[in-house]
Parts: sequence; structure tokens; C-alpha cells
Amino acid sequence: MTLTIAVPSKGRMKEDTLARFAAAGLPIAPPSDRSYQSQIEGRNDLTVLFLSASEIARELARGTVHLGVTGEDLARESVANADGAMDFLVPLGFGKADVVVAVPAAWVDVETMADLDDVAATFRARTGRRLRVATKYWRLTQSFFASHGVAVYRIVESLGATEGAPAAGSADAIVDITSTGSTIRANALKILKDGVILQSQATLTAAKGAAWDETRRAQVDEVTARLRV
Amino acid sequence: MPCQPPPGGEVETRLRFGWGACAADTDTMTLDTFLTSRTDARPSIDILQPADPFLEAAGESLRRRIFITESTGAGPLCLRPEFTIPLCLARKGEKAGRFAYRGTVFRQGRGEFQQAGLEDLGHAASAERDAQAVRDMAGALAACGLTDITITLGDQAIFERVVAALSLPDGIAARLSRAFGDDASVATQIKALTKPRATGSTEADRLAQAGDAAALEAHIAALMEQAGLPPTAGRRAADIAARAIARAQEAQFTLTAQQGETLRAFLALDTPLSEAGDALAQFADQGGLALGDTLNQFRERASALDGLTVRYRASFGRKLEYYTGVVFEAEAGGQTVAGGGRYDRLCTLLGYDEPTPAVGFSLDLERAEKAGGTP
Repeated sequence: MTLTIAVPSKGRMKEDTLARFAAAGLPIAPPSDRSYQSQIEGRNDLTVLFLSASEIARELARGTVHLGVTGEDLARESVANADGAMDFLVPLGFGKADVVVAVPAAWVDVETMADLDDVAATFRARTGRRLRVATKYWRLTQSFFASHGVAVYRIVESLGATEGAPAAGSADAIVDITSTGSTIRANALKILKDGVILQSQATLTAAKGAAWDETRRAQVDEVTARLRV
Repeated sequence: MPCQPPPGGEVETRLRFGWGACAADTDTMTLDTFLTSRTDARPSIDILQPADPFLEAAGESLRRRIFITESTGAGPLCLRPEFTIPLCLARKGEKAGRFAYRGTVFRQGRGEFQQAGLEDLGHAASAERDAQAVRDMAGALAACGLTDITITLGDQAIFERVVAALSLPDGIAARLSRAFGDDASVATQIKALTKPRATGSTEADRLAQAGDAAALEAHIAALMEQAGLPPTAGRRAADIAARAIARAQEAQFTLTAQQGETLRAFLALDTPLSEAGDALAQFADQGGLALGDTLNQFRERASALDGLTVRYRASFGRKLEYYTGVVFEAEAGGQTVAGGGRYDRLCTLLGYDEPTPAVGFSLDLERAEKAGGTP
């Protein structure tokens, strides 16, 4: 019985994941040339797959891997009912980023989502169009705005440099990730007081829909216990 | 069940009867003949619709509930999630009238199901028009064989009148009106208003508290310029300053215990419609509120509905910007099988040049069938 663990295939997330697994006594063997498959050293029962971050979230949702290391933001954004499809088991302490709602700092009258709701409600009457929110986080934005009763706005898809959208005139507000808030401030934006949608970090996540049996559950318990320390 | 083609009709079916001209014996009518007897035409509505009008009118949150798809060039399309918006779009620039529809609609979570309904577009709003829509909803359900129904009615206009009579600051009144229909949100707001809200201590906050509009506007304009914000796109410095000052004043406002109690007492009203006029009048007397013409129109509509068993629930509303007055729904077998209301703001949102009052209802034929009906 092998357990399949998907880990990021490149970048900082990959390095941090390898380091964290090694420190937990679960060193990941380097994959042989051009292979995306490996294993925990000396453990034939723990298969490791190197996948891109967005693939990890998708494969977890499909249940084709048992465990994965993924940013919670990505998992919740790309999967419709993330809590129904996966268990967020162990926050790993790296890849930290908050998904936040930010508006121009010049909007001195907007500090909370309730203020943004007021502005959105009269936006069309004042400007002839709806308030526009630039983001790549469609799903997170929609459910967070809905939970604050904000309904009348439009999302403008943004696939990069979202924080520049208000100055470029392509959006009025943004939903984006930030780790320190410095990019937000540098673009003369401010985060709403109750505008933190999600405090995300790399998280060891289990796929509820994967093939589970007692052996694999024991394996997950072991991996989880080691990483939790 | 399959969608029945409209009787006699391709694109539009002109009818022999004007609205209300037919003294319907609904016992012998099918839903289709009933709707036909009550309307002027049945406009043809495509299944594939531009998505933008739905998202503009109902808001971005609708996106999760509809089937949306990209088209090459012309913006996103969707499978029609309902008929009212496409029907209003189809009738833009046309004469007022009463229109029927029947067909498949598509929603996330439910897939496809059948809806039928009636929209009364472009006639001046009146108690009689409202009542006609409610009676026709009951008639349409009766034509499906559903007579054991519970009708509930609410009225956004009465709530707004109560709020206006309490002389709350504009922004607070507007926020309460927007929340109407969402009991938890209204209750939270009422509670939050019982004590002053915190205000900030930035330069802008000080100027807003002092009510210095000119200085505040200059301050905001400078912030906008520093940020490279386009001064004419979106919110302008003067708009921001005006709202900041209003907001600073509103933060000082607190609802008195009696005002809070009045609002809660109003929202708790739940009575047969035939007694609702008196109940509202008594409520207004006790609270010292003048409900004036709004109450008269409410009474007029209630008497126009004499003979139909309807319950008035004061807190019943639809949290959609375009609903403006009466809302109503019918329940059978524990499920909502039909609903409707007055939506005088919708056509304006859809780009009509003239204000176009409208009232209508739709039947959920899948649920109507589950409740024992034969639509």
C-alpha cells in the first residue's frame, strides 16, 4: 500500500517543502532525471509526486493523490467546496500570504466592508457603472463579499499586477494576496479593517475523495505527527 | 416534463383578451390557457443569453448560481436563469403590456427546470396592478391544480416609510432599507446603532468631523494625485468628502431605545392581510409615526385582494436592489412554488430611457408538480 504525496515542483514553495520534510525526518529523495516521481528516502510506501501548485489543488479535489502541500488560498479558490473535498491538516509555516480587500487610500470614508457596501450601492447612480473589483480570486471574492452582504459590484479578472489596477483605471478596488502589505501601501492602497479574507500558508492537506484504508490512514497519522512538531 | 410550445404561436401570440378582461373559470383551464387569457403576448426568449445584464442587475454574486460560458468576442453568455430580465430586454422601447412565458431555466445546484410566469410591464404602479399580479399567481397555481396554497406578502415601501418616519440619517436609512429582507442583518444593524460608532483620528477624519468640506476635498484630491488615480474615473474627491462628512455625523447618531423597539415591533408584525391595515395603523399610532399615503395604498391593495387568503409578514422582502414595493410568494406542500413582486427599478438598470414600472410573478413548475400540481 503506498500513499501518494504531491509537493510543489518549483520555486520557493518547493525548496521550503523539501527543507520542512527533511527536518521532520521525512527526506524526499531527489527524483531521477526528468521524472516527477520520487519517494521519501528509504520508504517505498511513501510516494512523492512533484506537481505545479495549481495541479496539486486540483488533484486533491479529484482524490488522485492522498496528501498534498498547497497554499490554502489556492485550494479554496480553485475548488468549489474545499472543506467538503479536503482536510487542511497541518499549517507548515511558510508560503504565508493574506488574501485581502484593498481600496485606494484616498477613499478616506471607507474603512470597513460595510463602508464598501455603501459605496457599491450608490456607485452606479454616481458614476453610471458598477464598482469594479480586480482580482484573480473570483471564488473567494464572491463568497466573502456575499457574507458581508455586498452584492452589486463587478469582478474584473486580473492575472498580474492587480495592485496597479486602480491607478490604471481598470478597477476601483482589489482583492489580492500580500505578505507584508508593502506592495499594497506602495500602490497607495489600504486594506479594509475587516477585509482579510483568508490568512493563507502552505498546508499539508488530505484528499477526502482519495482511496483510503487503514494502512494509509496510519501512514497519514505518521506523516502528520512528524510534520506537526 | 417537456416544455409545451406556446399555443398558436411562434414569436408573439396576440390574444383576444386584454388583461383582466377574462372572467376566468380556472377549474377548466390549463396553465397555458390561463396565462394566455391574462396576457397580451408571449415574447420569444432565447435560451442562450448575454450574461452581463443579469450580473449588472442582480450583482456579481449571481455568477455562482448560473451557468456561464465565454463566447468569442461578444462577452460572456449564460443559459437563461430566469425570464424576467430577458423579457424586459426584449420589450425595451415597446408598448406597455402583460406578457407570459414558459420554458426551461438553468441554475447551478438545481440544473434545469421549468418556469412559467407573467410580467406586467410599463403600466403605472397601482394597488390594483399589484393585486392583479397576486390574484393571477393564485389563478395560475389553481390552473395547475394547486388550490391549497399559503400566500405571504411583504412590502418594501412600508418598511422604508417606517424608517423615514423615524427621521434617521440618510445613510443609515439607506443601509437599513438595503438590508430589508435579511432579518439577521437588519437585527445586527439595529443593535449596532444603539451606541455611537468609533471614529478615526487621521487628518481626513478630523476634517470630516469638523465638516470642513473644502479642506477635506483638497486633502483627498492630493491623495488621489499622489496615487496616480484618474481624477474623473470612478469616485471623485467631492463625492468622497461628502460621504466622509455624512459618515462622521452618522457615527454620532444613536437609535433611542424606543426607536429600536418600534423597528423590532414593526418587523415582528405577522397577520392576515385583511387585518394588516388596521394592525399597521395601530402600530403607527403607538409609535407616533405618520405612514400617510403608503399605508393608504397598502389598504387599497389589501381590499383588492379580498377573498384571497393572504398573510402579511412585515419583515418579508427580497434583498435585490430592483424590488421596490410589494413582494409575495406561495407555498404548497412545504415548498415555495411561486413568487413575485414589484420591481420598478429593473428596467432602468437594464438601460431603459423612461422609468418603467413593472410587477410580475413566476411559477416553479418542478416544485409545483412535486406539490401535487399538474402544470
